[in-house]
Amino acid sequence: MSMFFKRKDIQLTIVVLTFLVVFIPYFFNIPALDAFSKKLITIASLVNGFTLALAIHSQFRRASNQWRRKSRGYYWGAYMLICLIMMILFGIIGQESAPWHWVMFAVINPLSSVNYCILAFYLSGSAARAFRARSIQAFMLLAAGSIVLLYQAPLTGAVFPVIDPIALYLTNTFAVSVSRTIYLGLATASIVLGVRMLTGREVSFLGFAREE
Amino acid sequence: MVSESETEGGILRFLATIDIRIVYFLLFVVVVGPLLYPIGMPISVSPDTVEFHDVIAEMGPDDIVLLHLGTEFSGWNELSAGSTASMRMLIEQGAKVAIISAHPEAISISPLLYNSLSDVMDANDYKYMEDTIDLGYMHPNEAAVASTASDFHGTVRTDYLGASIEGTFLDDINTAEDWSLIIDIQTGVQSAAMLNHYRVSYGAPIAKHCIGVSVPGAKADLDAELLVGVLPSLRGGAELETLIGAKGPGVAAMDAFSIAHYMLLIFVVLGNIGYFGYQRSASRRTTVGR
Amino acid sequence: MIEFMELSIAVFGAFIAMCMFSTLYGKSNPLYVFAEESYVGFATGLVVIMAIMYIYRAGIQGILAGDWILSVGIILGLMTLTRLSREYAYISRLPIGISVAVQLALSMRTIIFSRFIRHINATVMNLFPADSQLMLYRWTIFLSLIPMLTFFFYTTEMKGPLSWSAKAGEYILYLSLGVVFAQTYMGRLGMFVGFMQSLTLPPWKIPILISTMIIVLAAVVILDKANLADRWIPG
Repeated sequence: MSMFFKRKDIQLTIVVLTFLVVFIPYFFNIPALDAFSKKLITIASLVNGFTLALAIHSQFRRASNQWRRKSRGYYWGAYMLICLIMMILFGIIGQESAPWHWVMFAVINPLSSVNYCILAFYLSGSAARAFRARSIQAFMLLAAGSIVLLYQAPLTGAVFPVIDPIALYLTNTFAVSVSRTIYLGLATASIVLGVRMLTGREVSFLGFAREE
Repeated sequence: MVSESETEGGILRFLATIDIRIVYFLLFVVVVGPLLYPIGMPISVSPDTVEFHDVIAEMGPDDIVLLHLGTEFSGWNELSAGSTASMRMLIEQGAKVAIISAHPEAISISPLLYNSLSDVMDANDYKYMEDTIDLGYMHPNEAAVASTASDFHGTVRTDYLGASIEGTFLDDINTAEDWSLIIDIQTGVQSAAMLNHYRVSYGAPIAKHCIGVSVPGAKADLDAELLVGVLPSLRGGAELETLIGAKGPGVAAMDAFSIAHYMLLIFVVLGNIGYFGYQRSASRRTTVGR
Repeated sequence: MIEFMELSIAVFGAFIAMCMFSTLYGKSNPLYVFAEESYVGFATGLVVIMAIMYIYRAGIQGILAGDWILSVGIILGLMTLTRLSREYAYISRLPIGISVAVQLALSMRTIIFSRFIRHINATVMNLFPADSQLMLYRWTIFLSLIPMLTFFFYTTEMKGPLSWSAKAGEYILYLSLGVVFAQTYMGRLGMFVGFMQSLTLPPWKIPILISTMIIVLAAVVILDKANLADRWIPG
């Protein structure tokens, strides 16, 4: 029975068959296969939900390693685990409960907000300290960035509307081009990776490379 | 004794090597100051906002709209003005709205949205379960997005509190093509999945309200007709508030928004003055001295 | 009359947010670690609860409604957990393989359209619309995309027209990056402004914000000057 899971060719065959069950009905009208494909997609979404249990395990392992080594500040790991367990308990009590509501709005929401908005400070700092027109390319970067920054301030459009067409030209052309370049590159890379996985050249996701 | 090279430069040296904490402190001041003491600067409305507004303005009582919260709570700080203004328009036009969250933190957003529009809902006799439903966290991954797109009732059976959705306006939704419009509030959570499985697979029209980082990509998608409208960032939200005549927190934030932009530009200019005036000549002097 | 719940949320929320901001001082300190570990712990707990809720709503409720095939998802999901065991980790290959294969199929069947065909169509088709401004935009995108793509060719030597194209692409890229930087700054600034708004509205929150800013800044400076900051942070 264990050979079923340990043999690379069997597992790869299952991967390819699963892929085809979901891929083919999208292009060919096969009602029975289409219905099974839809159920398989829901099944996969459920499986992905279980992988989050691995996240808890890694946090417990990190905290217990810190505690065992008694490294400096090891008690913070225990504090983190207490927070984790408390949140799970509050969730079991109910999402309409006062403790859940308190933690969401007093801890998680403010800290999530700071986590991302702090980048505004780092961007400001880097602009003040590192943005230098050392070369033609750097000057072009600064010039384009300055025009768009001016445009983005709503007051500029109201008192100095001349800048609007120039800024709109830059945002609707060059920014679109670079995004499109990135999209094309990423799409190529993901298709190549997918083909490598299906043809057995990339099997580390199944845990085989480590054993070999 | 202090050497000559350490004292020369003066103001230019200060500008070139400014302590970064001064920049941080000033950013705090220019943002918090106008919020405490509003100035009321005028704002202009961009064509993107007008296009986004026109897409929502077409919705009516026979339409069912999906409000997709693909954002963490941090993104909500930037997107709340535009989302609230969009929802206000939909309530006033009588369109039915279902809300799906794609991030665990987004489940705390829908109660805030309903609370902020409770007056508008009461004035328009807009009721929960009859006109709007919160379906909660149903898009944790791409497979879940594909699942709700292809077999809605096979995946979603209750609202976020467990009440059955049978017999509600959602009975008319079977696949993604049954939605009249999808307003995607995005920081990037399941953004590509929504495009792939709702737009490309079923042709559902998606209007995106996204953070500034995502604007270039969203405009590329708009140009490729993958989106029907883009509302960019907090500024877009403020413009939409102005357009619909319901000025709120978005407009109130624009003073701080404008001043912070100008502050950054001033620092870039001053930094370059310092660079050309001090650092470049200092490095030349060092080279010549050798 | 402000409710105690609302007041406590405002006070603690402002305090812990300022603790997180204290990293801007330039040195790690216990207040920042307190905020960081709180976020990691509570956010992980939130994610776990949400995952359980999703499995219940999409899986268990479906099975109870008669959709028995979804029980395969629950069984495969439980098999995933064997990854935690060294002895039985190989069992998790099946559910992981199926999950990855489904994700791959979902992605590949649509990415060809959403990230290739539609964008290439939009670039090269309809270069002569009626609107002159739109025509200018379309031609600029068309003429800037190809040089940028050639700039990213790393597998061939840049010679002749290819090198000119790559050079042009480099300059266009810097121009584009300037625009992207400005829009990125707009995004992050918008988050910061919106967050500060939530800490200043309604007006009774203003004294709470200012006092927590002063308290946290004072605490961080005192800890730094007294050389106590390093003692209580993880090493």
